[in-house]
Amino acid sequence: MIRDYYNRNALDEKLRGAPRPPGANHLAIGHRQAVSMVLAVAGEEDSVEKLLSSATEFTGRFSAPGEWLVVSENDTPEGLQRRLDALCSDKAHIVDQSEARVLFRISGPSMRRILAKGIGLDLDPNVFATGASANALCGHIAVNLARTGEDAFELLTPRSFAESLFDNLMTMGREYDLTAAFAA
Amino acid sequence: MASLITCPHCGVRPKEEFAIRGDASLVRPAPTASDEAWHDYVYVRANPRGRTLEHWQHVGGCRRFLVVERDTFTHEVHSVTDGAAFARENGK
Amino acid sequence: MTAYRLTAGGLVDRSRALSFSFDGRPLRGFAGDTLASALIANDQLLAGRSFKYHRPRGIVSVGSSEPNALVTIGSGARSDPNTKATVAELYAGLTARSQNRWPSLGFDIGAVSDLLSPFIGAGFYYKTFMWPAQLWEKLYEPLIRRAGGLGRVVLERDPESYEKSWAHCDLLVVGGGPTGLTAALTAARAGLRVILADEDFRLGGSLLSETQAIDGAPAHVFADRVVAELQALPNVTLLPRTTVFGWYDDNVFGAVERVQKHVAEPLAKLPTERVWRVVARRALLATGAEERPLVFGGNDRPGVMMAGALRTYANRYGVAAGRSVAIFTNGSAGYQAARDLHAKGITIAAIVDGRVAAEDAAPEGTRVIRSASLIDTRGRRRVSGIVVERSGFEELVACDAVGMSGGWSPVIHLACQRGAKPVWSDTLSAFVAPDVGGGLRVAGSANGVYTLSGCLGDGAAKASAIASELGFKPTQDVMPETGEEADPSFTALWYAPGAKSKAFVDFQNDVHTKDLGLALREGFGHVEHAKRYTTSGMATDQGKLSNINAVGILAGMRGVSPADVGTTTFRPFYTPVSFGALAGTARDKHAAPTRKSPLHEWARKNGAAFVEAGPWYRSAWFPRAGEKTWRESVDREVLNVRANVGICDVSTLGKIELFGPDAAEFLNRIYCNALLKLPVGKARYGLMLREDGFVYDDGTVSRLAEEHFLVTTTTAMAGGVMSHMEYCSQVLWPELKVRFCSVSDQWAQIAIAGPKARSVLQQLIENDISDAGFPFLAAGTVTLKGGLKARLFRISFSGELAFELAVPAGFGIAVADQLMDVGRAVDICAYGVEALNVLRLEKGLPTHAEFDGRVTPDDAGLGRMVSPHKTDFVGKHLSSRYGLTAADRMQLVGLKPVDREKDIRAGAHLLREGMKPSTLNDQGWVSSACFSPVLGHHIAFAFLKSGRERYGERIVVWDKLRDQEAVAEVCDPVFVDPENARMKA
Ligand SMILES: [Zn+2]
Repeated sequence: MIRDYYNRNALDEKLRGAPRPPGANHLAIGHRQAVSMVLAVAGEEDSVEKLLSSATEFTGRFSAPGEWLVVSENDTPEGLQRRLDALCSDKAHIVDQSEARVLFRISGPSMRRILAKGIGLDLDPNVFATGASANALCGHIAVNLARTGEDAFELLTPRSFAESLFDNLMTMGREYDLTAAFAA
Repeated sequence: MASLITCPHCGVRPKEEFAIRGDASLVRPAPTASDEAWHDYVYVRANPRGRTLEHWQHVGGCRRFLVVERDTFTHEVHSVTDGAAFARENGK
Repeated sequence: MTAYRLTAGGLVDRSRALSFSFDGRPLRGFAGDTLASALIANDQLLAGRSFKYHRPRGIVSVGSSEPNALVTIGSGARSDPNTKATVAELYAGLTARSQNRWPSLGFDIGAVSDLLSPFIGAGFYYKTFMWPAQLWEKLYEPLIRRAGGLGRVVLERDPESYEKSWAHCDLLVVGGGPTGLTAALTAARAGLRVILADEDFRLGGSLLSETQAIDGAPAHVFADRVVAELQALPNVTLLPRTTVFGWYDDNVFGAVERVQKHVAEPLAKLPTERVWRVVARRALLATGAEERPLVFGGNDRPGVMMAGALRTYANRYGVAAGRSVAIFTNGSAGYQAARDLHAKGITIAAIVDGRVAAEDAAPEGTRVIRSASLIDTRGRRRVSGIVVERSGFEELVACDAVGMSGGWSPVIHLACQRGAKPVWSDTLSAFVAPDVGGGLRVAGSANGVYTLSGCLGDGAAKASAIASELGFKPTQDVMPETGEEADPSFTALWYAPGAKSKAFVDFQNDVHTKDLGLALREGFGHVEHAKRYTTSGMATDQGKLSNINAVGILAGMRGVSPADVGTTTFRPFYTPVSFGALAGTARDKHAAPTRKSPLHEWARKNGAAFVEAGPWYRSAWFPRAGEKTWRESVDREVLNVRANVGICDVSTLGKIELFGPDAAEFLNRIYCNALLKLPVGKARYGLMLREDGFVYDDGTVSRLAEEHFLVTTTTAMAGGVMSHMEYCSQVLWPELKVRFCSVSDQWAQIAIAGPKARSVLQQLIENDISDAGFPFLAAGTVTLKGGLKARLFRISFSGELAFELAVPAGFGIAVADQLMDVGRAVDICAYGVEALNVLRLEKGLPTHAEFDGRVTPDDAGLGRMVSPHKTDFVGKHLSSRYGLTAADRMQLVGLKPVDREKDIRAGAHLLREGMKPSTLNDQGWVSSACFSPVLGHHIAFAFLKSGRERYGERIVVWDKLRDQEAVAEVCDPVFVDPENARMKA
């Protein structure tokens, strides 16, 4: 018996049904992406950071000293693992988190006001610039927050919290007619 | 109690992102140390009015244990340093 | 008709009439009115009854200091008690009800307590209701609560929605009057991120009732112009209808915005109220000053109001509280009110001035009585005259309203909320803000600057200084032209001498001068004692009007300066904030986040009943058609696992991966058992202690590679164990080269248990999982047919042949479906945590019901796990201390009811037969119990004194909670397969 198993997104239940057209403020759920945790070997933190920031195939997001979440839009989880192994397997431990994290891509003119309802970070672009990333709490839920543009952010959250975070974000975005759908 | 803590790794964060573990000045005794030393380490705590060192874990951020030096009376935070660096310098 | 709407003037929109009701009476006001101004326009000055004496009380003030006009707005679940009519913005359809009266506002039976007032002075409650104590709860308290008290709380579910938001700024300006507006504008033009908050629905503060011109135009035009400029700036956030209620450490402010309190039908997409947490680099208090009431005989009669309030009602709202107004003043503000009212065509009956001489100009033709005191008022539910005393002569002056002006108190509440005490200023005859450092500064009237030009200038100057300090370049603004200004002086008058009737200090709590005298005589002269003794300043208005007079009167009685009396302690909140607003969205299901297993939907479609376990929803059992009770389902699941095979979702267990050359050493130190030599490809049970020697958690440790481990934790302790490991690695042993990472969410984990587990699982897996190929406690990576990589562990929590299969979370449901499909031929079933619990009890495996923080490894029968050879591990030293190794400790045993029909429940205590239940006779307790379908009777785990020596003994299971007793036999806690033959099959 040989079979391909179906991979189910944690938000399949929440986003069932025909997608509605995205509004100005929109939440797109990444359907498939590869995410890895890179843990630098003691003493190799700086060199790992350099290697990660020099790469163009993925973005490294700061999680903790010597720890980054690497997100790739194009790689499979196995592909990203191979790519990171080739890059820094001698300097870091690489843990696949593709199934452990759900990617919330959120953008629109009211984004800062929406996120301020849950996140205590100052999201002024002079303080948290495009390209910046950090672990933070959104309400009671741990997220990794990254700014991908003036009005665009990405949140990575543990899969088991995804439905709760989704509900929270939709409540936070109610005032600004936030829409949601799986990313195209 | 401070409203904001400046994590050396993550920047200024609301106190809700942190969990306080307690006295950071304690040094774990050797396993062969006296019963008294172990009793003091596990059970006895000062309750100072003034400056104190505490472990605050940035659970909502980098998850590092930080050493927060703060004043229990004025609520002023004097310094926040990484717990591992602090441990290496003190008693290790 | 005495109070009325002026024919013209004011900032209300006379083209937009709004209908509303008060106590059922339909009334009309205009857009721009508050409920109070609309009530005045309708000659409804009487607004409530006082707390203690039930005296009729009218509107006194024009803002959030209002002590009297507390009403309930709205109806049913949407009613808001204790709302100040003076800040409630009028809207079409508003319904308001007066409070604290029965049967009606005009006729209140409780008013009889006013006649009894000689008997219910200060301290009355403390003295009268002390004995007998048992009557307090049954009689006195309900009685007092019915008689006193203000609005009624609604017991229905609150239908409003609330939210919270963070805000960050360079400068928070609190107050949108002349000071706040120029400060905000100066800072905004310099490029600072500015937030301007004001509790009013219209920004402008005193400018909205000011008759003085600014740059040749009415003051409110200037305010509108500034607001318009601010509104257009991207670095400015304007927050009208927002009260900054608290100042917290690190310059964080709490504010509540009444987003939709002023609309009849709130929009679903907006909250009713929003709590802001403002992180401000700098803050400027531009909160103005509060006019002081004067304490004179009969000063609580409806119609007696603040002079400034009369002025604001006339100038801003176009309403007059009376046709003939008497002014009682000790400063220039009373004259200004008189001039403005006079200009609106209102008669000034007289100005009674407590001072000997003054240069203030009275309106043309107005009688001024100097060196005089107001000693009483006349009228029933409305003032009809005042009694003025001068040089021993009394005179009755007819009037239908009284304006009182006792000077000014800067509003400095926020500046004093973090411990610093207000400072008395002899120059200002007022308490002013203490120096609280650069983060929070005070400007304008709040800073004792009372002229308009002074306020405009102070706001701009302070904002300029702040801008420079933060590295911004303030622009050189030209100050607006304000023209000539009146002298704002006053002479403090705490108590008008010669009162002929009660002279109230605190209107809301009915505290009058004699109460303060009594407090002093009885030894409660300290300001904090006097407050509690008399309840002065303890009402919902927190004494915004009254506190200063109470301090002045106490000072006078004690013969000291108000500086020596001091003030009571200031604390958040400045004005009351609803619980709903403070909770925000964190209510009902959103009170805390919920977590869902990757197999949640699989369980749901298989009919699972879910149980909340911390944040998780776990499948508890899977009822099938015809099963009437949960026990039937659980019994079937257990028997099926023992006879065939079942699968269970165990994804919620904590999973942590560790890497590094010191990972093995690290694990060896955090578990009490030996792990250094765990071979690659093997799993081992691990027991974790706390440093005090008691069991913390248990789980499995698998070595996936030489320097790569995976540990599991119990569901409940997953977060705690992770933190504990981080503490050990970062703080205790930073020299160990180990890195770890939670992988709990990466994997869907399925337990497959039962004699047919292998045959089912082998159909999905490429690798050989025979006992030879994958023996008991094997652990490693396997490949599912089709190529999916998974992890497999041969561990058992049921005593059966069992595996745990971990697949990447997204594939969990597909793999579980496939297992159910291929297992159908051998009657596979899904089982939940209830069956899991029965299976582990039958097999004698303790878990957190046993590890309750008081249990050592030896207590739980796991003493042999504690390695005697390791030099160190968490808990090593204290686990060997005397108390933890004593022979008479409570030890884990099994129990079987002697009468097999009897049941045993967890929580019951154990007694020797014939012994009375007592702490001394206590022999132990039952930690877990269930019905064992395999044995056909109840079984239990218990901790029994020296229990392992007592197998075979009979013991009484005493269950006081259910008033049951059963006799049980003490036995080994392993009820099924003690030889482990099934598990190792
Ligand atoms: Zn941090």
